[in-house]
Amino acid sequence: MAELNPIKLWHRILALPAESQTKTIAMAFVVSAVSALFVSIAAVSLQPLINANKLAERQAKLDEMIANLPGLAEVLAQSNAETLDTVIVDLTTGLADDTLDAASFDMADIAADPATSTVLSDEQDIAGIKTRPNFAQIYVLKSGDALELVILPVYAAGYQSQINAYLALKGDLNTVAALVITEQGETPGLGAKIAEPAWQALWPGKEIADADGTVRLAVVRGGAASTFEVDGITGATRTSSAVSAMIGFWMGPQGYAKVLFALRNGEV
Amino acid sequence: MARRNFFTPLIDENPVTLQILGICSALAVTTSMTTALTMSLALTVVLMASSGIISAMRRHIPAQIRLILQITIIASLVIVTDLILQAFAFEISKRLSIFVSLVVTNCLVLGRAEAFAMQNPVGRSILDGLGNGLGYSLILLIVGFVRELLGLGTLFGWAILPTVDSGGWYQPLGVMLLAPSAFVVLGLLIWAIRVWRPVQVEPDEYPLAEARR
Amino acid sequence: MTELFLRAIFADNLVLSYFLGICTYLAISKRLETALGLAAAMVVVQTVTVPVNYLIHHYLLLEGAWAWLGLPDTDLTFLKLIAFIGVIAAVVQVLEMALDRYAPALYRALGVFLPLITVNCAILGGSLFMAERQYDLGESLVFGFGSGIGWALAIALLAAIRERLRYADVPAGLRGLGITFVVTGLISMGFTAFSTVSLP
Repeated sequence: MAELNPIKLWHRILALPAESQTKTIAMAFVVSAVSALFVSIAAVSLQPLINANKLAERQAKLDEMIANLPGLAEVLAQSNAETLDTVIVDLTTGLADDTLDAASFDMADIAADPATSTVLSDEQDIAGIKTRPNFAQIYVLKSGDALELVILPVYAAGYQSQINAYLALKGDLNTVAALVITEQGETPGLGAKIAEPAWQALWPGKEIADADGTVRLAVVRGGAASTFEVDGITGATRTSSAVSAMIGFWMGPQGYAKVLFALRNGEV
Repeated sequence: MARRNFFTPLIDENPVTLQILGICSALAVTTSMTTALTMSLALTVVLMASSGIISAMRRHIPAQIRLILQITIIASLVIVTDLILQAFAFEISKRLSIFVSLVVTNCLVLGRAEAFAMQNPVGRSILDGLGNGLGYSLILLIVGFVRELLGLGTLFGWAILPTVDSGGWYQPLGVMLLAPSAFVVLGLLIWAIRVWRPVQVEPDEYPLAEARR
Repeated sequence: MTELFLRAIFADNLVLSYFLGICTYLAISKRLETALGLAAAMVVVQTVTVPVNYLIHHYLLLEGAWAWLGLPDTDLTFLKLIAFIGVIAAVVQVLEMALDRYAPALYRALGVFLPLITVNCAILGGSLFMAERQYDLGESLVFGFGSGIGWALAIALLAAIRERLRYADVPAGLRGLGITFVVTGLISMGFTAFSTVSLP
């Protein structure tokens, strides 16, 4: 008799008129419980697939950039390297870090966690990113002891979206090998042109800083007049200045400056 | 009767062009046919499932919490659909982002739940959901067709009109990718439908008098 | 902050740039008076719900929110949708009771469209944007208020134009819904001009 009780109870509840208070509470409870169960099961079982997708996408973007870098294929063949070395660096010291796991490294998570990021003051926050992650995953290619290529992930707040990119520097750590925009949501046909190969082709060969070490590379309106300037996109002033700010910030003291210093001294 | 449920929402009682339901997402995702198609599929599936479930429970839903119960059911279905999209069609899910979440408050799903599923048996509700979903999809695909073809020269990503950038003759109409064009294209589409089906024309409230000679 | 406020009203207008809240926007814009009443209600609801949803999202749902309980990895953001809607429904319910008590004429004029604010994509969209763009509490308040004003502005404009359009000689097929869409498209085009304006 005891086993029939829950079923009998259920039938009794169902038989109640829809407006009764017990029914209202019971229905609210049942619908919430069933919905929550349904959603949680889906979320938990699909999460690994979703994470794998995100990781695969980032890797694909990186591979695409490497495939498009002029001359990189030859450099890779010469140095007998098949892939780039991945190094996690600490931006506060400039040195490599052993404590974090490379496979699950996510720069966005690091930037969001107060324990592993630094809040930027208004003067420091040129790129509009609010917090700076204390760790970053960079890619280094060496031939023996000589640096051939360094790839740095950078990002900034664009006109209406976050702009994510990879900045590739040649061995002298001052000449740009390539700038590849991996994610952006700027105005189609205007700001979104930063993601097109035609605009990104303007970057290889540009220099970051002058002989004094002052960062001078910027995106300018009108024509670019030197190796420190890149043509902006007409009609997309805000997006262009966001890219400028991105370079200015990440090449500056709050960005990768210490890392570049350590790389030059062979400490990484 | 069932066939009526299915065919009427396609043109005669189209949710977008006549009932004014489900427009928000109809405009935003039509910049390319791929996103339009994915959104249509997602919405039709959610619409059918929610109409079916709500119809099955219709006698047991208390009036006071009716709205929030319906929304809970629809929201759960939408969340699961979103997760499935992220797991199996990641590229597309990124472009649809908040609009899949907005299917929850999509007036179409809630509107049909209130207007039909609450008063009709399960089988007919599901069919009604399918019909309205297809009516919605039809409009989305037509608008998407126009906007993608004229705005990018492509359809589903395949180049149809060779653009000047890639060495062809077609200069894409950039405005088709921006918000205003969606409104205008939809307005013109409604005009075309009402010329074809004059019964949908709205009455003139202040007709002009004949000019006196 | 001022830039965020102005962006929310003009360049990032919820109706004209992101197509949120169109159903109600088209349905209520036939008469200017009712449109203004609904607009005021929308501003109130939006200004209250976006910051409240920020608090819930930040302190209850985000990964790490439960760290103080010893559960730092719990990520409840998949419940975001339901939590936001719950808050919005509650706020609209309170607004309904307040209007019924203090402004019964407006309450009657709005009729069924007041509870429909609960399912207005613009209100939910505002909260979802807040979560996606990671605004803090101050920015949520400014964004909520600004986006509410933007929606109100758009519907006031459309209602004013539609009242004039009733006397125009519009082709039969375009009459009503059709011409409203075309006009909205033109207003939207006008508003995109604001996207290049920035404060000195």
